[in-house]
Parts: sequence; C-alpha cells; structure tokens
Amino acid sequence: MSGLVSRRVVLPLLLFAAVLAVWEAAVPLLRIQQIVLPTPSGIALTMVHTAGPIAFHARHTLVTTLLGFGFAVGLGLLLGFAIGASATVHDAIYPLLVGFNSIPKAAMVPLLVMWFGIGAVPAVLTAFLLAFFPVAVNVAVGLATLESELRDVLRALGASRWQIFRKVGVPRTMPLFFASLKVAISSAFVGSVISETVASNAGIGYLMAVAGSDFNTRLAFGGLFVLAAMGVLLYGVFAIIERRMTAWAYTE
Amino acid sequence: MPADAAIQLRDVAFEYLTNGRVTRAVEDVSLEVTRGATVAFVGPSGCGKSTLLKLVAGLLTTSRGTIIVDGRPVKGPLENVGMAFQNPVLLPWRTVLDNLLLPFEILRENGDPRAPDRAVWKDKASALLKTVGLAGAEHRQPRELSGGMRQRVSLCRALIHEPRLLLLDEPFAALDAFTREEMWELHQTLRRHREFTGVLVTHDLREAVFLAQTIYVMSADPGRIAHVHEVKLPTPRTLAQLYGAEATALIRLMREQIRPSREAVA
Repeated sequence: MSGLVSRRVVLPLLLFAAVLAVWEAAVPLLRIQQIVLPTPSGIALTMVHTAGPIAFHARHTLVTTLLGFGFAVGLGLLLGFAIGASATVHDAIYPLLVGFNSIPKAAMVPLLVMWFGIGAVPAVLTAFLLAFFPVAVNVAVGLATLESELRDVLRALGASRWQIFRKVGVPRTMPLFFASLKVAISSAFVGSVISETVASNAGIGYLMAVAGSDFNTRLAFGGLFVLAAMGVLLYGVFAIIERRMTAWAYTE
Repeated sequence: MPADAAIQLRDVAFEYLTNGRVTRAVEDVSLEVTRGATVAFVGPSGCGKSTLLKLVAGLLTTSRGTIIVDGRPVKGPLENVGMAFQNPVLLPWRTVLDNLLLPFEILRENGDPRAPDRAVWKDKASALLKTVGLAGAEHRQPRELSGGMRQRVSLCRALIHEPRLLLLDEPFAALDAFTREEMWELHQTLRRHREFTGVLVTHDLREAVFLAQTIYVMSADPGRIAHVHEVKLPTPRTLAQLYGAEATALIRLMREQIRPSREAVA
C-alpha cells in the first residue's frame, strides 16, 4: 500500500523534474530567446523576486474562487434537492439548466463587468456560474436514483416523503455531492481566473495579463506555475474531504 | 367475513396507463388469508404477483374492488407491515444495528407506541440477529456481509417492529441454492417465534411448497388467479419432504399449469 502511494507520488515528480531538466538544457542549446521561452531557473528566480506580489494576487484569486464556490455549493444543493425530489421541478428546470450550462461562461464576463464594474464581483460570479451546475446535477441524480424497494420498505413503516428524504435520500446522495465538489472547485477556479484576466485589478489572472502586456514572459510563466499548484492543491483538498466523508462508498 | 381472516381481497383489479394504453395488471382477484398462515403467489413474469403484494401493503391503490386487512379497508400504506425484497437494500453508511434501528427512528418520530425507547429496541435487534444466526454482527458494515447475511438482516428489519403482515417479494431469488434452503428453514423458525401472516411472491415452486399453506398459481395478461393449491405437508416442514411423492407431484402439476401461460406471453 505505502509502496503504491510512494510510486504514485514519486513517479510523476521524477517525470516533472526530467521535463524541467530537458527544458532547461534545450533553451540555450536551441538558442531560443528568453522572451519567447524562458528557462525554468529563470522563471524560478523571477518568482522568488516577485514573491510578495505573487502571494498577494494568489490570495485574491483564492478568496474569489472560494466565495464563488461557496455560493455555487449552496445554490447547487438547493437546486439539486428540488430537481431530485420533484418530477415537476425536474421537467421544468432541467432542460433550461442544460441550456444554460452550454453557454461558454467566459462570454458572460463582459455583461458582468457592465453591471458590477471591474474587480472581484465579476470574478466571484463567474466562478459561481461555472461551479453550481455539477453540484446541482450530482445531487439531483443521487436523489432520483433511490431504490424503489427501499422507498417501499420505508413507506410500509408509515414514513413520510420528508422522512424518506432525510433518512435515506440525503445520506445516499453524499458520495455524489462530495465527488461534485472536486469538479466544482476546479470549475470555480477556472471561472475566477478567466474573469481576472479580462476584468480585474487583482488576482493571478490579472498578474498574468499585465505580465503579458509587458512582455514579461518569465512572470507569465510564473503565474502559470502558481495556478497549476493552486489548482492541484484545491482539487486535492476536496478529494481528501470526499474520501473522509463517504468512506462507505469506496470500499465495496 | 370469517373472524380469522387477516387479509381479504374482493374482486380486486389494478390497471395503469402506459402511452395512452390501459394495461390490466391484475383482474378479478378474490381470496382470503387466514391469520397466521402464509400464502404464496407463483406464476410467469408479468402476471401481477408483485403488484398484488403492493396492493395489499397499500403502496398501490386498487382500480376496482376492495382489500381488507385486519377488518379495515386498505386506503393508504399500511403501517403494521414488514417487507423484504430480492435486493436487501440495506443502507451502506449504517452498521447492521443502525439499519435495524431505522424503523425505530421513523416510528418514534411519528409518535408510534411501538417505539418505546432505544435501549429496548437495541435488545430486540440483538435478539433478532441471534435468531437468524448473526449474533454479534451489530457493528459490522453491510458491505462486509455475504448476500445471504444481508438478506437475513433485511428480514430482521422487516420483522423488528413486530408487524402483523410479512410481505416477501422474491426475497431469496438472488441467493445460491444452499443459502436459499437455509433461508427457508430460517423463515420457518421465525414463524415459530412470532406470529405473522405471510404473503410470498416467488418464481421458485419448491420455495412456495416449503413455506406456504396455500399457493395461488397466476396467469398473465391480465393477472388472474388460475389455480389454487392447499399444501398438505405436515409442519414443521423438512427439505426431505420436498423430494417426497406428494411435493413432487404438486410441483410438477404447477409447472404444467404455468407453462401455457408462459407460451401465451412469449
């Protein structure tokens, strides 16, 4: 078991280090200009020099992502419960929801900027718009797929719909809910960075946009690495929470 | 109506609409089940056996006719019923004991006097688990149990609130042959410990002969009672009886009775 875990940690890290080494060697070897493709060491140096601003912008991105994610989880749960519990609500809302979800959310940023101006609000809202759909769908599916036999057993005890929902529907939906959080946090992250890139004055997305217009390739790459690290971290946190909360669903 | 009839069906019919067409699932069913007896419904797939079970439990409403349980017409889901199905549907996030406490939680929330307090209920759960050969399994997770063990827990859940009716819909169909026979004997043991009226729906003719006093052979499309058999084997029954001349003849007869109905459906 521990051998497997270390394999799964060590192997990708080794590969990542190898890619960086090849990259480091290839840039001078192929005489690539640093402004086109900087070396990893150069990027690292820039990241150390601008550690303060990077930390500030990373914190900003994290806060907008988590805010948007929080709202998305709240609304996603409510919507999912409503869709899963009532066939009427499902038939009325679900097609609209699918339609709405097929809109590329980046296209909504200009509208959000018109309403709320440049800043954190459009970023939070974009994060929210991208993240609530997976939560709502997973929760709805979890509720709607309740075994009819289980429903009969409980109804034969005199259980009300509300009791069946509470005692069985909700706990049974939790593995799907927690699985959706991993997807939702990644979506929220994408949403807030998109919005920051085009319409903000803070956040890693903004930092990268500025670096781009300054032809500061090193800083732009630095931002990319920070985003990658944050994305993996956020996903990892929710993957661990998922395992902890719904262990019963994984050991079958 | 005789005083000892626990269940009475009078001209019961059940129809439903699919794609604008009326499907007649059950028609002209009239019968009586004596208190404490077990009856079995056998027949081809789609003959309305399971529908009949749900009608008795009040989970479905009759289109015509009346069903009377314990002297009262069935108007909605009955509350003195235990049910078990082919799929044991235990809650995987709860231990065995907590699965058996689920009926208690629901009855207590609804102010039912059968749910006095948790400690009493826990003792009942432990005693019941002992009866089905699962002593000490209280804190195990359903996923750790074999199919037969899960089905035992499912039976315990169906019986823990001491229902007057036990409704079983192919409860042992998913088990291997040996475990199934064990479960038949277990069912017999349970009936000696507590009094309940049983309704069994099954495809397994030997199971019906072992467990029931009366067997109704149904025909399909629409589901009607085609034949009625009294099983005269003495009780307690043994597996050896199933290989005797009397049981063999009855099983062979029922097979012949079900076959034409099967061909009509095909």
